[in-house]
Amino acid sequence: MKKIWLVLFLNFALAGCVNDNIIDEINIQAGASFDESEDGMFIGSILVQNYLPDKSVENQVYTTEGKLPRDILLHVQKKTAGELVTGGLVITIFGDKLADSGILDFVDAYQRDASIGARNYLATSTKKALPILEGNYGSHGVSKYLENLIEHNIKYGDIPATNLHIFLRDYYRKGKDPFLPEIRKVSEDEVEVSGISLFKGDKKVGVLHGKDMFYFKLLTDKHTQGNFNIHIKKEIKSAVRSIKSKRKINLNKKDPSLIDIQLELKGEIREYTGHKLTKKTINDVAKKLEKNVEKECLKLIKQFQSQGIDPIGLGYLHQKQIRGYNFDHWEEDYQNLSFNIEAKVNIVQTGVIE
Amino acid sequence: MQETIPERFKIAPFLVFYLIISMQIGIGILGYQRTVSKHSDQDAWISVLIAGLSLHIILWMIYKIAETVNGDIVSAHIYLVGNVVGKLLSFLFIIYFFTYMLTVLRSYIEIIQVWMFPDLSVFWFSLAILLLSIYIIYGGFRTVVGIAFFSLMLSSYLFFIFAYNIKFADFENLLPIWDHSLKDLLLGSYFLPLSFVGFEIVLYFYPYIKNPQKSKKWAHLALLTTTVIYTALMMLTIAYFSDEQLQKSIWATLTMWKIVKMPFIERFEYIGIATWNFVVLPNICISIWIISRLLKRIFHIPQKKGAHLIAIATLLIIIFINTHDKVRILNEYIGRAGFIVTFIYIPILFICIMIAKRVKKK
Repeated sequence: MKKIWLVLFLNFALAGCVNDNIIDEINIQAGASFDESEDGMFIGSILVQNYLPDKSVENQVYTTEGKLPRDILLHVQKKTAGELVTGGLVITIFGDKLADSGILDFVDAYQRDASIGARNYLATSTKKALPILEGNYGSHGVSKYLENLIEHNIKYGDIPATNLHIFLRDYYRKGKDPFLPEIRKVSEDEVEVSGISLFKGDKKVGVLHGKDMFYFKLLTDKHTQGNFNIHIKKEIKSAVRSIKSKRKINLNKKDPSLIDIQLELKGEIREYTGHKLTKKTINDVAKKLEKNVEKECLKLIKQFQSQGIDPIGLGYLHQKQIRGYNFDHWEEDYQNLSFNIEAKVNIVQTGVIE
Repeated sequence: MQETIPERFKIAPFLVFYLIISMQIGIGILGYQRTVSKHSDQDAWISVLIAGLSLHIILWMIYKIAETVNGDIVSAHIYLVGNVVGKLLSFLFIIYFFTYMLTVLRSYIEIIQVWMFPDLSVFWFSLAILLLSIYIIYGGFRTVVGIAFFSLMLSSYLFFIFAYNIKFADFENLLPIWDHSLKDLLLGSYFLPLSFVGFEIVLYFYPYIKNPQKSKKWAHLALLTTTVIYTALMMLTIAYFSDEQLQKSIWATLTMWKIVKMPFIERFEYIGIATWNFVVLPNICISIWIISRLLKRIFHIPQKKGAHLIAIATLLIIIFINTHDKVRILNEYIGRAGFIVTFIYIPILFICIMIAKRVKKK
């Protein structure tokens, strides 16, 4: 009998320990966007999704102005019916101007918050970020749509793997600069991934578009699935889809200022406008592609070099491969680096016809 | 001078394995990576390995001490310096274990407050846990061991969670291996004790082991297991984080769980931290049992009464540890005390006992 009283007592003791949150009575933050406004403030918006009884999703965007990222939450709290919680955040978009002036304050608030996952996506936008959040895409709600958009572009498109954790990891790594995907609002019900924005520290310094994204992914990520057009002659075109790619970046053993980059690509021909696809033409396509990859990748790296950014992590490579590397003269070393790029393309499939 | 423990209260030798592991793995494992890698960066796992392996020597000493006096640490002290001074020395260990228990409990509460419920009441939560612990201790030492066993089994699934991190890990981060001086590596090891202390509990429950000789291999195996776990987790942590990022994470292990994504739960940390209750519970139970046992040996207070006293004292003190800074300082002190006890006090005790044995033989 005594024990029963004890158990009952304990139950009450524990129930009094913390506040309860009932799922129907809270607002779960699903997305956020930040834009710069005048006089050093910024405009923050929080997307809350309401799941209606008929299984549709209602997007609701709350916008306020603030000085600190946390201000936004406090201000929005005043507008929402229920308590606002951050655990469901999946996407954050930074406006172009804000990204130019640095986003660390916002990201810092994210890593400090224990309830925000490391897997949520950060992205920049071509113009203001707020309109993207206010759109109406798909039937599963805006945040889910944007999440899927980035996710499948990482898996099958030209965006290297990215999320909050990867951004922070690269940001805090000596000798590597982070990058983020850039999205663009096309129309009221359409958004697209338009590029990759490159950062120096937490400030955006440039954007890669189009085919450069493919090469960029080739250089930075392990696997790539991307489409690629090759013109063999003027009128003969073929589309190659890469199935798998491997990259090896090493310092040259004899000369540490030379960097060997080996890219291996396995691909299949998806489209061919010539007459007949013979072994020789396949070879031609492969050779042409190899040359292209080598040329474009080199161009890309040279561009990074002149911009003074290092999204590939060559500085970190120095630290890994040279014992006791002194980071103080990395900037200088970087400018003196030369590159030796070797691409190997292996066409393994030509589709179901010959 | 040594009361004999009835056979029915004793435990099988292999259970020492679970006791040691569940006492070693507690709060330290959630955040030891930061302090270790502060000094030895990507070589931190070597520091962990060095610390872990060196403990085998200490464990060997502990068994030698216990064998020589055929009893626990109180017997050893009495054997060495006589009844009064011996008991006085042993009293210091009451304070040590009390602080240890306090640190574990308060750190765990802090983790709940930071990661889950900021408004959790320290007093009420402590009360609940302490009542549960006392209830377990009422069952005697065998029940305590049983809890240690079960808690280890129930929480062991957490290992699989780290599979999520492997996808984001780059093991090239471990390069270049051995890029630090031995001094840096040892400095890293120096900050480990809070994670590793716990294996010296053999010195307290030695009389309760059925066949102490046979338990030796289990004790060493337990030590090896924790060393392997700590080393592997350290390697994974280095591969997962970048340097500065790790330095910012107070609880690196918990931060690693942030990447977990499951279809049925948005934030895994809530499950993980709740499960951690199972890991913390035996830590507290064993500590309270040891203190109450020491109280009994020194002051002849019945163990049940001793447990009550400890619980009341804990509740009275824990409410005053109310900021993160105080918790951090507590952690630091207990880590240092753990270092002194394991690496300085026990070797000295060992040498003295060995000398005393020679002298007494003559």
